[in-house]
Amino acid sequence: MDTSPAITAEEARLLLGRADRLSRSAHNATRWPYIAFILAFGVATSMGTFAMALATGDAFGVAYVGTLFVMFALLIFFMVSITGRSAFSRSRRWTGYVASWFVTYAAAISVVIWAHGSVLLAGLASGLILAVAMICAGREARA
Amino acid sequence: MTATEQHPRHRLDDLLQNPVRFSIVAALDRAGTLGFREVRDAVEITDSTLSKQVALLESAGYLAVGKSFAGKMPRTSLALTRQGRAAWAGHLATLREIAGDHSQ
Repeated sequence: MDTSPAITAEEARLLLGRADRLSRSAHNATRWPYIAFILAFGVATSMGTFAMALATGDAFGVAYVGTLFVMFALLIFFMVSITGRSAFSRSRRWTGYVASWFVTYAAAISVVIWAHGSVLLAGLASGLILAVAMICAGREARA
Repeated sequence: MTATEQHPRHRLDDLLQNPVRFSIVAALDRAGTLGFREVRDAVEITDSTLSKQVALLESAGYLAVGKSFAGKMPRTSLALTRQGRAAWAGHLATLREIAGDHSQ
């Protein structure tokens, strides 16, 4: 006896469309903390390293401590906001984001140490961090 | 009619033909791991309905249910298992076949 419900081609297409829409909407609804974190972290480290590269005396201290504070605050907010779905971020894609940010951040810190006061180099290095963050955020948005 | 000549609908996964279970698995397909409330909101069902269907999918080995705490608040996370992904992929492939789309 045939117990399988009959399903027409039109019904199958509707089901496939529904599956695709649900899959996309569920994914998009939960992706915002990741994109927001990448952008905020990129902006914070970019501005922070730029300020550190140009500031002297007390202003340097404020830029240094302020950058560290914002970085840790963002990291804590991110870890809390993704609790329960952290597996999402443990991917090869995220390893690439972290690696590319680290390379540009290390370059900006090198400018702070060895080329302190150079507006051109500070702008280039910090701008590179911002550019990498925006590329990563854009990639995450399309993933 | 031999088994190989059967209509593709016979290869549809019985468990995934239920519209709620179909929607739950569809929501988890791309997102990977989602919280209980996120799946509930995406599928637009009540907590009790979701709990019941999640239990069925978990007992079939299609879903992994994780329990954790965010501070003092319990969190339930849902993710498709390897078996669940394989069943979902097979179900979608059969639906495409029925729909007449042989491109994937």
